Amino acid sequence: MSKIIEAKGITKRFGGVVAVNAVDLSVEKGQIVGLIGPNGSGKSTMVNLVTGELLADEGGLLFNGHDISRMPLYKRARLGMARSFQMLRLFHSLSVEENLVLASHMRMTTSVVDSLFGRAAAREETERARAKARELLAWFDLQEFAERPVTAMSIGQQRMVEIARGLMSEPTLLVLDEPAAGLSPPNVDKLIVLIRRLRDEFGISILLVEHVMRVVRDLCDRVVVLDSGQKIAEGVPDVVVKDPVVVEAYIGSGWKRRAQA
Amino acid sequence: MKPYLIGLAVALVLAVAPFVLGGYETNVLMMMLFFVILAVGLDLVAGYCGQFSFATGAFYGLGAYTAAIMSRDLGSPIWLNLPAGAVVAGLFGLLLGIPALRLKGHFLAIVTIAFQTIVYLVISQWTSFTGGQVGVSLPNPAPLTAFGVTLVQLGSLRSYYWLTLAVAVICLLLAWRLAHSRLGSEWIAIRDDETLAAAVGIDTTRGKLTAFIASAALAGVAGVLTAHAMRGVTPDDFTIWISATVVAMMVLGGRGTFIGPILGAVFLVLMPEVLGRLAEYKMLIYGSLLVLAITLMPEGVIGRLRRRAAR
Amino acid sequence: MDLFLQYVANGVVTGSTYVLVAVGLTLIFGILGVVNFAHGEFYMIGGYVGIVAITMLKLPVLAAIAVVLLAAALVGLVAEAILHKPLKSRDATNSIISSFGLAVALQNAALLVMGPQPQRLNLDVSKIPVLSSLPTDFGPVFLPQQRTLIPLTMVILIGVLYAVLKYTWTGRSLRAMAQHATVARLCGVRVQSVAVVTFMVGSALAGIAGMLMSSIFFVYPVVGNMIALKAFTVVILGGMGNVAGAAVAGLLLGITESLTSAYVANSMRDVVGFVFVILVLLFRPQGLFGKAAERS
Repeated sequence: MSKIIEAKGITKRFGGVVAVNAVDLSVEKGQIVGLIGPNGSGKSTMVNLVTGELLADEGGLLFNGHDISRMPLYKRARLGMARSFQMLRLFHSLSVEENLVLASHMRMTTSVVDSLFGRAAAREETERARAKARELLAWFDLQEFAERPVTAMSIGQQRMVEIARGLMSEPTLLVLDEPAAGLSPPNVDKLIVLIRRLRDEFGISILLVEHVMRVVRDLCDRVVVLDSGQKIAEGVPDVVVKDPVVVEAYIGSGWKRRAQA
Repeated sequence: MKPYLIGLAVALVLAVAPFVLGGYETNVLMMMLFFVILAVGLDLVAGYCGQFSFATGAFYGLGAYTAAIMSRDLGSPIWLNLPAGAVVAGLFGLLLGIPALRLKGHFLAIVTIAFQTIVYLVISQWTSFTGGQVGVSLPNPAPLTAFGVTLVQLGSLRSYYWLTLAVAVICLLLAWRLAHSRLGSEWIAIRDDETLAAAVGIDTTRGKLTAFIASAALAGVAGVLTAHAMRGVTPDDFTIWISATVVAMMVLGGRGTFIGPILGAVFLVLMPEVLGRLAEYKMLIYGSLLVLAITLMPEGVIGRLRRRAAR
Repeated sequence: MDLFLQYVANGVVTGSTYVLVAVGLTLIFGILGVVNFAHGEFYMIGGYVGIVAITMLKLPVLAAIAVVLLAAALVGLVAEAILHKPLKSRDATNSIISSFGLAVALQNAALLVMGPQPQRLNLDVSKIPVLSSLPTDFGPVFLPQQRTLIPLTMVILIGVLYAVLKYTWTGRSLRAMAQHATVARLCGVRVQSVAVVTFMVGSALAGIAGMLMSSIFFVYPVVGNMIALKAFTVVILGGMGNVAGAAVAGLLLGITESLTSAYVANSMRDVVGFVFVILVLLFRPQGLFGKAAERS
């Protein structure tokens, strides 16, 4: 299978601390890959290295065959990468629809100058983006919120808007950073169904960082486990969660560290 | 269409105003128009794009000195000085935009203050080029001519006022289009959350630099108009206190609301005229208003009203 | 060579004022996160209060210093109530705008009360016990006692401040606040009183600087403009919140300016520092002496 994203030997240091140490990670086309690990294991850093918020100190990063290791955030997005954030991030002074339309600016063919002078082609293109935004919102059953400010929605609804925003640009890779955080159990069920549909109906590959084990088990084709910045296990979810090394990392690491100290 | 119609109505009222008003009042209105351009320009970069700038006075000065020096050395007319002032100020805006690519919030604000101070010091110290503290004086603006036929006399106050009004209308129209174009919504996205903006594929470098250039170019145009209106320039017309005044106009009216900074400029320019003998306390009142506004109503008058309406 | 040392000495004198003004500013920034552009006005007020106390009220010098300290600390108290208390939960640009407003208001209040004409303090050094016995010639360097007084005061005050920060509970609270306000509060630091003390100390230091300098340079309503900008230069060069850094950077800026004016051009004197500021912010935002930090 062809790899959508392939990270090799990624290392990132903050001062003297090695946050991510020579980690390999890949997502094949149409797969959902989970990235898990205890708090402080380097999951967030790894995600930020993949999406481009941070640049790796060492290692290579290929996205759809392009070397993106030194590429800034916005260019990675333009190549077809979209993400959601652990701490919800939306443009607060804009409406829900405007939030979505902004994510499709990069796909527009008319120039900003056309838009500045109100050329018909530019206006039509914006109209098309609006229509698409409404369509997506309807898919998430959020169409009645289109013109409201994002702050008028619940946390769960805002998460859905984040995912809808990711879909606007028709990405090949969607990076979801703890999408189940703060959701109630019934909403987690809905989320699981939804993420699976994203893959099945839109054909999007997904890198999923998650704490909620149920989500990981239900969705992921493969799981990568990080601990203290190192990859300690990789494989099918049901096997990996029983791996003694992984159990040790989740439950026993506190004891181990105390014993060493 | 509604905003355009309101704008047109206001412009028409302002156009007939000199027939009713005396010379002094016309001058005040002209001054008001300069500050309206400055405040709207600042709103683009600070209000829409969220890149706080205390350098409006510097760009205003760069435009004014471009006009003064070009008139002195090349004898160029105002219609040439206007684009030249915009370009020179815009280039310096681009220059100031570069630090904004790396710095945020108060660090950036301090860089803009340093930039403003450097520009002031250079124009007040480079005596051989800028005339130092004495400044440069300008002749009466030459009439606008085409094919040897005089189209508009600019020597009289009224005709110059109309020119100012026309240029101000063009500036505001451009600024309005910018703010409401795709670029404008990208500016807002950068203001709200720069990382997120980049994550959805917005070129934040282009966004920030264009905001700085647009803002500076507008201030440059205001500078050219002012230089010709005053028949001269001195460094003390372009201090950091001009920047602070324009910031006050924008903050009072409401950052990123477009109409707010316009009303702020109108209010702060006309207020001393209404105060009469109290005008001596003008700057004291400016300062206190700024403190009160930021404490009690940081989103400004229009910002507050819009938020009320949104509920 | 002889003149070189004289230029350095002059630089040390001006640099000492920069230090006095900048240390308060860097504390207010480092501890409270307030970017205080009205800090130059504390200096201006110190100058005017000194002139009123000595020239008009005919107070002895030490009493006048006490009056200046008290008045400036009082201004600091008010400034805290305006710039910090209502704005502390907001972005630092709010405090910049507000302090600009305060600066404009204070300058114009001074203009209305004291008038626009520059004034100077006639400091009769022969009446000050220790100072009058100091020599005025140090090898090739000539320094009148009014000038010597400035670095002397600076060293004493900054020394005391440094000791207080290092060894007392108040000082430890201040430093704890600078590290992390919320944690400091949890550890029992009274954040609000620390804020007030910081503003009062910062203002008092700037006020003293203003008073001492008014015996050499004129005081006028907008004199604080350039001083505040210079002090910000020092704060940034030294690293925001770094007292020792501000002390070194202040003296360096004073000396650099003095030498630039002597050997390059007088017109370049003021520009140098601001160019440095932009460069430092771009390439070493932690200041010349700070350590770099990057976080996830």
